[in-house]
Amino acid sequence: MNYNWDWNIFFKSTGIGSEIYLDWFISGLGWTIAVALVAWIAALAIGSVLGVMRTLPGKVLPAIATAYVELFRNVPLLVQLFMWYFVVPDYLPEATQIWFKQELNPATSAYISVVVCLALFTAARVCEQVRTGIQALPRGQSAAALAVGFSIGQTYRYVLLPQAFRVIIPPLTSEFLNIFKNSSVASLIGLMELLAQTKQTAEFSANIFEAFTLATVIYFVLNMSLMTLMNLIEKKVRIPGMMGGAK
Amino acid sequence: MIRFNNVHKWFKDLHVLNGIDLQVAQGEVVVVCGPSGSGKSTMIRTVNQLESINEGEIWVDGKNVADPKTDLNALRAEVGFVFQHFNLYPHLSVVDNITLSPIKVKGMDKAAADKQAVALLERVGLAHKKDAFPAQLSGGQQQRVAIARGLAMEPRVMLFDEPTSALDPEMIGEVLKVMKDLAESGMTMMVVTHEMGFAREVADRVVFIDHGKIVEQAPPEAFFKNPQHERAQQFLRQLLTPMS
Amino acid sequence: MRLTTRLLTTAVIASAFAAPAMAEGTLDKIKSSGVIVLGHRDASIPFSYLANDPSKPIGYSHDLQLKVVEAVKKQLKMPNLQVRYNLVTSQTRIPLVQNGTVDLECGSTTNNLERQKQVTFSVGIFEIGTRLMAAKTSGVKDFPDLKGKNVVTTAGTTSERLLKAMNAEKQMGMNIISAKDHGESFLMLESGRAVAFMMDDALLYGEMAKAKNPGNWVVTGKPQSFEIYGCMLRKEDPAFKKVVDDAIKATYKSGEINKIYSKWFMSPVPPKGLNLNFPMSDEFKELVAKPNDKSAEQM
Ligand SMILES: Nc1ncnc2c1ncn2[C@@H]1O[C@H](COP(=O)(O)OP(=O)(O)OP(=O)(O)O)[C@@H](O)[C@H]1O
Ligand SMILES: [Mg+2]
Repeated sequence: MNYNWDWNIFFKSTGIGSEIYLDWFISGLGWTIAVALVAWIAALAIGSVLGVMRTLPGKVLPAIATAYVELFRNVPLLVQLFMWYFVVPDYLPEATQIWFKQELNPATSAYISVVVCLALFTAARVCEQVRTGIQALPRGQSAAALAVGFSIGQTYRYVLLPQAFRVIIPPLTSEFLNIFKNSSVASLIGLMELLAQTKQTAEFSANIFEAFTLATVIYFVLNMSLMTLMNLIEKKVRIPGMMGGAK
Repeated sequence: MIRFNNVHKWFKDLHVLNGIDLQVAQGEVVVVCGPSGSGKSTMIRTVNQLESINEGEIWVDGKNVADPKTDLNALRAEVGFVFQHFNLYPHLSVVDNITLSPIKVKGMDKAAADKQAVALLERVGLAHKKDAFPAQLSGGQQQRVAIARGLAMEPRVMLFDEPTSALDPEMIGEVLKVMKDLAESGMTMMVVTHEMGFAREVADRVVFIDHGKIVEQAPPEAFFKNPQHERAQQFLRQLLTPMS
Repeated sequence: MRLTTRLLTTAVIASAFAAPAMAEGTLDKIKSSGVIVLGHRDASIPFSYLANDPSKPIGYSHDLQLKVVEAVKKQLKMPNLQVRYNLVTSQTRIPLVQNGTVDLECGSTTNNLERQKQVTFSVGIFEIGTRLMAAKTSGVKDFPDLKGKNVVTTAGTTSERLLKAMNAEKQMGMNIISAKDHGESFLMLESGRAVAFMMDDALLYGEMAKAKNPGNWVVTGKPQSFEIYGCMLRKEDPAFKKVVDDAIKATYKSGEINKIYSKWFMSPVPPKGLNLNFPMSDEFKELVAKPNDKSAEQM
């Protein structure tokens, strides 16, 4: 194939101000991390609350959480993003609407939409992991906690959740990685995250393979670092004496 | 200390507790026995409301536990419970297992709770294991920690649901020894067990339950020598000659 | 860092192996296979797009592409030459031409210097100006009116680059939204997130024709650049390039181009029967009079 390789492209000027293409990748990576990390923290918090709700006695709270999961897991992510960006703002009060659509920097309003979207979408998935984790614990654990006088809240806080989260670190890791991948939907509403910057570089420089190769490498390194981080956490919180634990 | 008044409980169609009447006085040690599925666990779990009841009343230390107005968490804090399968918190060290509820429920400060935990561990002979994790202990050791955990709340009553039946035979003795010491210290105890040696030696009274009903209660010598009820006789025969 | 280098090396080696031997020219390839592969777009209205038949593109650029096919048939004396279609996107169009999957791409591809490093362009087939669309009531008449405003453009286009450069050089304080495609750019404009939409004028007319109330919008502003669209073919294949260029030039010379132009820009077009009402610009008239394969910046 008579492709004109040019790995120096990343250090060449984009023709816009004094930027070089590498600057675009750095800024894209920054947005990707900012979207994924904030959405993940929110997803973890919301998903944990929902996961707990699904395991509570009674009917109403579990039903609410179940309905949430069904809704947010089954509507395609892109549709949700368009809802949060194009539809929901139209139902805000007039002044808020104008502020959100026109006064706020467009990157900021896109950022808010995509973080809300990814957080709520991922929360549904986190919820299911948390629920599974709690239900996998021996039933005697909650009995033991209640028997010493813990409230339901304390039982979850001190006894059930610390164990459940340890069990679900591996599936949570993959959700964590997923949110980084899913953050690329942000490019569809104009937020210049890593994938958007890659496409832009490919378009502007016509060095398509170099751009996508660099993006692949960045995503790969990012993934490996996150996995290493999660493995470290898993090791750190591993319970001595339990399966696979160091004595 | 504990009083059951005509207590009934159903699991759907199954009438598990069928009019239980029972009193346990302060300082008394009552052993509950009966065939499998007769409702022993259910009964003992109703005392601290790990199981709710459908009819009747249960009074513990002057409070009606079935009354919705009773603060269950406060009640449970005064009633220690030891499970057949220990149910230690696997993610916490031995000492943290013991101090967690005094700190979080009673608001005890950490240093005092630690000190108390070490004292309790000495009492059950496990002071050297205070930093171990449950999975690193034998079953007998775990059950002794579980007893210490119950005692850490300074309960007025201790309930035991088959505390030795999940243990290898060589470990049963160490747990029974701790329970015996506890009884001698004057603790009010209700113990579901088939350890007849323990019943004979420690119990003030043996309660025999069958099909959710108390069919016989008597001091241990009388119960073992001369059981009145035909089901109790059959039960004791089977217990003493397990091979038949 | 070592890992990165190794990955990059692997990518380079892999692509070197993937390269089919392209020593033979496109005409030889077409002759021996009996097939010419045409690259087309799915939604570049009215240049190259899919409307009623999902297997066959239509459009202005496609009509010119078919002129080339006729010329190839004649040149190779293969009246039964088969035509195969291959859908391309803005990201795949260059590599697919380079690696031999597609023999000729005619769509809405701007001829520019970066792309000339990768592929060869035919003589220009269209010329656009990059301008603005805004609501008639907005008061936006030209680019200086955009200071401090939200302006939308489509990601990856020349307009995006020009707009960003203008913003940086003239310190206009615009907030630039890069939407994923023209439809979404227009949605940003319509929903009030942006006061203006900068794009190729032909495409702006296309979006306007699709709008609920075309009369609400106006295409305005001094063109910031002219862009020449061309068909793409592989580099260093003068024989094929000559056939392509000659076919297009012949269409210009005979005046047939006017018929094709008015079919796509001055009459209702599928699928919705929209009329773009976009008269031929003076710049394009000049290009038709003197066809060449230079990019706008080279002119
Ligand atoms: N949560 C529950 N739901 C439905 N049925 C139950 C439940 N818990 C216990 N049972 C049933 O109630 C009956 C009494 O159970 P319980 O555990 O009180 O018996 P037990 O006397 O402790 O027996 P064992 O000696 O085997 O421990 C059994 O038939 C049991 O299957
Ligand atoms: Mg039982």
